[in-house]
Amino acid sequence: MNSGLPEMLHCLNLTSENCEMSVLERQRSCLKWQQEQLSHHHPPIPYFNGNDHLAYSGFHGDQALSDLVLNGGAMKPDPGVEHDDFRRFMNYGSGTTDFQISSALPRTVSCPPYVAAASVDSAAAGKESCKKRKADRSHKIAAEEKKMKGCAEEESKITEQNSNSKSTTTTISTSANKNSKGASANAKKASDAPKTDYIHVRARRGQATDSHSLAERVRREKISERMKYLQDLVPGCNKVTGKASMLDEIINYVQSLQRQVEFLSMKLAAINPRLDFDIENYILKEMFPACPPAMEPDHSHLQFNTSVEEVSGSGLEMVVDPMDATLRRTISAPITVQQSFLDSSSLNQTQQVTWEDELRNLYSMEYQQGRSTPFISQQITGFLEANHVKLEM
Amino acid sequence: MAESSNSDANSRKRRKIDPDSQTRWRSEAEQRIYSSKLMDALHHVRRPGSGGHDAVRDAADRVLAASARGRTRWSRAILTNRLSLRLAQINRKHKKAAKPSAGKSCSRKPAKKLPPVESKVKVLSRLVPGCRKVSLPNLLEETTDYIAALEMQVKAMTFLTGLLNAGAAAPA
Repeated sequence: MNSGLPEMLHCLNLTSENCEMSVLERQRSCLKWQQEQLSHHHPPIPYFNGNDHLAYSGFHGDQALSDLVLNGGAMKPDPGVEHDDFRRFMNYGSGTTDFQISSALPRTVSCPPYVAAASVDSAAAGKESCKKRKADRSHKIAAEEKKMKGCAEEESKITEQNSNSKSTTTTISTSANKNSKGASANAKKASDAPKTDYIHVRARRGQATDSHSLAERVRREKISERMKYLQDLVPGCNKVTGKASMLDEIINYVQSLQRQVEFLSMKLAAINPRLDFDIENYILKEMFPACPPAMEPDHSHLQFNTSVEEVSGSGLEMVVDPMDATLRRTISAPITVQQSFLDSSSLNQTQQVTWEDELRNLYSMEYQQGRSTPFISQQITGFLEANHVKLEM
Repeated sequence: MAESSNSDANSRKRRKIDPDSQTRWRSEAEQRIYSSKLMDALHHVRRPGSGGHDAVRDAADRVLAASARGRTRWSRAILTNRLSLRLAQINRKHKKAAKPSAGKSCSRKPAKKLPPVESKVKVLSRLVPGCRKVSLPNLLEETTDYIAALEMQVKAMTFLTGLLNAGAAAPA
């Protein structure tokens, strides 16, 4: 349908700024022009259906789209006449539309100048893209689908639309909408194939078919859908209803999470220098084996002691290996510093692989609730025994 | 039928962030990856000797944003604006302190929209990094992913602090 032409061009413009899209839309405009020429030989109603298909085929008719089109076609008063057209145009729409459009191209000898002008206009106008306008176009097309006008009216509308800006087209669509207000009985919201970001919206029964309200409804539905996702995510959000309070909850939750991260980072920062200090301490102790290594006075975390040291040692592996080895040795076994120093270098290589395994095991265990402690302790004891054996050797 | 296929096409069209975000950030593998990467980053932070908590937090945020693989706006904002954002914030604070309050109210336009929803949306957009001028539906999408990521970050950091605490406590 002709009135859909510039709208679709607008939409194509708005959705992508690729030059290939402009080639595509030029192809489509040519195709549409060809369709229009074909339609002159057909009665208005199948013509309208064909344009339906054209509108959808221009957007890579999916299965969904073909369904929609069929369903939309079912609304028309003469289903018998339509089926032929359906079948013909389905060949256009299904599959790779680009290929079919290009195959259709040779048939159109020349694109009419006003179509080209329309594409240029839409290209120029489409540069300032706003979602509202895109939605407007889509809704205008949807509105146009519903009406049962003849070609003449549509042609006149085309010329109007080509020469005017968005506001005019809005008025046109509203006038069209008034005619078709009671026409649609389906509540459908079709979306295109992924290539074009384009929404076909049908107004539900008894609801305003104004393009503005359609666009608003689309936007509202998007927002409410995402709010539902957030509701699942944020605890305590399902008790409150209403956007404002839900937003309140979300804001509170995000703030609390960020505060937690801040707090944990402070804790980590406090621990980090301690580890460094410990390492340096132990190295110093290596130098002076007489002095016992100084340890942290925090005795509260007994269960994770050795295993955690091993883990942290493996974490520190990246830094300097001998230091870590000595660290591990001094922490894990109740042995003198001298012994640890002697054994560290020999045991370094063999231990590295096992450290990684320990780390992995610990992580996996830690994330399984409530079962970590006994496993870790078992692993620790086994590991320590192995270390002791090696030491003795 | 048509609606389900429509919703499928919708989700296909809409970058598939919403259903993915929760599964992505809640997987154990992701947590493990994040924890190990964070350990790495922390060591690098420690090396220069400046182990301030801000540095740790920035490192944590950076690693978190890196694990997002650049698919979300907030992660990209964190990775690109880390330093400049802080500088801008500091500058803004200085400017605000310098300006008299009367000047501020004059410069601000008379409030054309005062709906509570609008103001809350603004607050939320300030909380999520890099989403100040984002429309509401996209903002909500970013918030979804951001919340999931933050939850994972908190879990991983809690785990790490527990480890390191016990580790440092060690040989008692």
